[in-house]
Amino acid sequence: MNISNKDPLLDLEHISKRFGGLQALKDVALTLYPGEVLALAGDNGAGKSTLIKTISGVHKPDTGTIKYCGQVIHLETPHQARDAGIETIYQDLAIADNLDVGGNVFLGREIVKRICGLPFVDRRRMRQEALETLQDLDIHIHHPENPLRSLSGGQRQSVAIGRAIHWKARVLIMDEPTAALGVPEQRKVMEIIERLKKSGVGVIFISHNLNDIFQVSDRILVLRRGEKVGERLISETNHDEVVRMMVAG
Amino acid sequence: MLVEKKITKPAPLAGGEARKAFRWLAVLAAFRAWLFLAILLAAFELWARVAYGGTFVFNPLNVKSIALFTVTPLLLALGQTFVIISGGIDLSVGFTMGLSAVVTAHVYNWAAQSGNSGLSLVVAVAAGLGIAVVPGLINGLLIADLRVPPFIGTLGMYGVARGVAFLLAKGTTVPVQGGLMGAIGNGETLGFPNLVLLTIAIILVMHYLLSHTRYGQHIYAIGGNVNAALRAGINVRNATIALYILSALSAGCAGIFYTAKFSAGAAQAGEPVLLDSIAAVVIGGASLFGGSGTIIGTIIGALIVAVIQYGLVFVNVEPFWQFVAVGVVIIISVLVDQIQKGARK
Amino acid sequence: MKRWINTVAVVVTLGLVALSPIKLALAAGNKYTIALIPGLTTDPFYITMHKGAQAAAQALGVDLVFQGAPEFNPVTQVPVLNAVTARHPSAILIAPTDKVQLVAPLKTASEAGIPVITVDTFIGNGHYQTGTGDADFPLCYVASDNVLGGEIAARALAKAIGDKGKVYVSNVKPGISTTDQREQGFKEEMKKHSSITVLETQFNDDDANKAASQFQSVLARNPDLAGVFGANLFSAMGASNGAKQAHSTGKVKVVAFDAPASIVPELKAGNVDIAIAQHPAEIGYFGVVAAYAHLAGQSVPPLIGTGFTVIDKGNVDDPNVKRFIYSD
Repeated sequence: MNISNKDPLLDLEHISKRFGGLQALKDVALTLYPGEVLALAGDNGAGKSTLIKTISGVHKPDTGTIKYCGQVIHLETPHQARDAGIETIYQDLAIADNLDVGGNVFLGREIVKRICGLPFVDRRRMRQEALETLQDLDIHIHHPENPLRSLSGGQRQSVAIGRAIHWKARVLIMDEPTAALGVPEQRKVMEIIERLKKSGVGVIFISHNLNDIFQVSDRILVLRRGEKVGERLISETNHDEVVRMMVAG
Repeated sequence: MLVEKKITKPAPLAGGEARKAFRWLAVLAAFRAWLFLAILLAAFELWARVAYGGTFVFNPLNVKSIALFTVTPLLLALGQTFVIISGGIDLSVGFTMGLSAVVTAHVYNWAAQSGNSGLSLVVAVAAGLGIAVVPGLINGLLIADLRVPPFIGTLGMYGVARGVAFLLAKGTTVPVQGGLMGAIGNGETLGFPNLVLLTIAIILVMHYLLSHTRYGQHIYAIGGNVNAALRAGINVRNATIALYILSALSAGCAGIFYTAKFSAGAAQAGEPVLLDSIAAVVIGGASLFGGSGTIIGTIIGALIVAVIQYGLVFVNVEPFWQFVAVGVVIIISVLVDQIQKGARK
Repeated sequence: MKRWINTVAVVVTLGLVALSPIKLALAAGNKYTIALIPGLTTDPFYITMHKGAQAAAQALGVDLVFQGAPEFNPVTQVPVLNAVTARHPSAILIAPTDKVQLVAPLKTASEAGIPVITVDTFIGNGHYQTGTGDADFPLCYVASDNVLGGEIAARALAKAIGDKGKVYVSNVKPGISTTDQREQGFKEEMKKHSSITVLETQFNDDDANKAASQFQSVLARNPDLAGVFGANLFSAMGASNGAKQAHSTGKVKVVAFDAPASIVPELKAGNVDIAIAQHPAEIGYFGVVAAYAHLAGQSVPPLIGTGFTVIDKGNVDDPNVKRFIYSD
């Protein structure tokens, strides 16, 4: 796949952000193409989290521009980002585990049908549509009418991803998606990411696990003390070089 | 290698004995309220037959009396169910009920001077519901906007509503002049007490709201994970305010019914019922941590509390055992819930 | 530091000077000031008691101060008592809201030279000036004799049911001195009526709904139930409503203790058959009279029992009876 032939989904230039005396980001640039997985690496406090919060509308950058699908955008709230198609999967997943799959995928956007003029939440349809989306990602839920708390961590993770995809997210930011999972479930999430790539979604992937990064990413961007210290195609780098960039620049 | 194989298939992640036990417990937990009620009724029936050669369940007076007795705690519990599912609690409903009862009586007497008792009734009911909205709205604003914990905020409102109700009633009961209020409150339609029929109508509305509307779905989400609700774009603030207004309205209905039943409004009308109503919600399967509960469960819970209290009088047990019995049922309900949660982990 | 102490001293002195005229005014003119502290200020029972006390105060030419808390609770009553004590009235009439918790603050008043008389309720065991215990210092206890009230209720009910059948007491909860005594008097009197069976007492927590349901449960088990004694207003309201719902109004006789204005329509409609009215105005009147007698150097009996009036449908409009309905 020749990435550079396509127009970038996201194009950040000269992003700086200061919190009081702390320069959290300094003149950072980032580009993300459709169907690409970009890994963000860096030690704790390197600015990864500030950078993704800038993209997802939580923080406003002090300087710099964000282009999304070729247009400059100003994100004021996470809601604007979501509505535009930039979705973040947080570690705490933000699912209501007392609701079923349909209830979660359609949370806040429930489907209603009318019976004698009265609106009724159409649970069956919500469940069906949610399951269809999940099936496209090769995710299978055995008792979809059960609340999510009866599912495993990996399956809940998949539901959160499925929700983003159902609502046509074009950029998916995943913050340590495999951190709380067992090994088989980590593999499953990796598989899902592969599938997302094929469907043209751009993924920004944050992980402490270099193995995961090398398995699934196309490019890696390394941050240190708020600055971009390196960017490599995964095919042209190795563990040692990445670690060196992270700790020494 | 084994791991590699597993991921090639959509691996069923559940299974094994533990899961099976969990499913059984879940089924048991889901139906525990029904089970309790059935056991209770069977026990009282047996007791009545063995000790007195009479029947408990098949005595129409008993059925009617229990249904009527359930009305007040159930009405308080219906609104409380919504609040508890959202992860909150409303301690002010007892005195919101009293406030509503007193205002309904006063307004009815005032309007009845016009000579049109039908119109007076409509005005009085509107006033009773209207005044209930006030503490509900203030509760909602305190909790949603000022971030006051529900326990504290509604406890404060308990005091305020109590004081205002006593002041309005001048510390006494407010008798209702004229017969229409009492005729409806104690009348029957097709052999069913009017208050029971009206309560059934309110139950249907509450059940629809909770189980079939987007609003109800949002209440569950707020109770399950408020951050998820916020990120899904649900207006949690407005939903919370609506919750406490709903709870107050439900208590307001109880107050209006009280005035209709006794032909008098009393400020302390709901005070002794508050704990019974919370007990009904919890016994009905709602978790005080939020996220679960149903209207049907609450109805069963309220029936259980009423049957225990009524039945123990019927079989002539020392009165203090009633408290013990209700307490034991609450503890067992919460224990079942805890064990079920434990099995999940 | 020294200047600071001086400032405080000046402020304290000024404060004392500012307060002293009140005390002076109270003592001036040899006119007595008697304070009446009710159990709660909003209850018609105490409001009526206040009216009786006012009548006596006017007749005797003393000033009457009426101060109290809005609810029946020692936590709110004690600060009111302390404030009244600080103003040093000539005597204190009080309806103590707790047998034990009011002992210490009343003793403070007594030791400051203010005679204490309790009305309606009492401290300790209610036996005063006996030289035993630490709560016998009040001069006098003026109240309805609740045991007698219970006996009167029993006699009225026995008459209404033709001296035979099953009856029970609907009561609030155990531990309240007045309602316990009413139940005691009722049961003692009923022992003299050999054809009347007194069933287990039902406690309703002051919840009229519960009292109604208990009535129906007792009736379901005892279809031959003849009467019920509601030991206070809500107990009676509940029992009468229970009878209404069970379509047994008139068949089961209901006796209510206490007679607020709301009892009148119930009596007229036949939902309540008999109401036993206490005489709170009498309590207030004789409380003030007893205090005045003591201040004038006369001796006072340690216990003054006031009377009751039995009200039913037939006499409720009689002006001699009607005046015993508690006024708002």
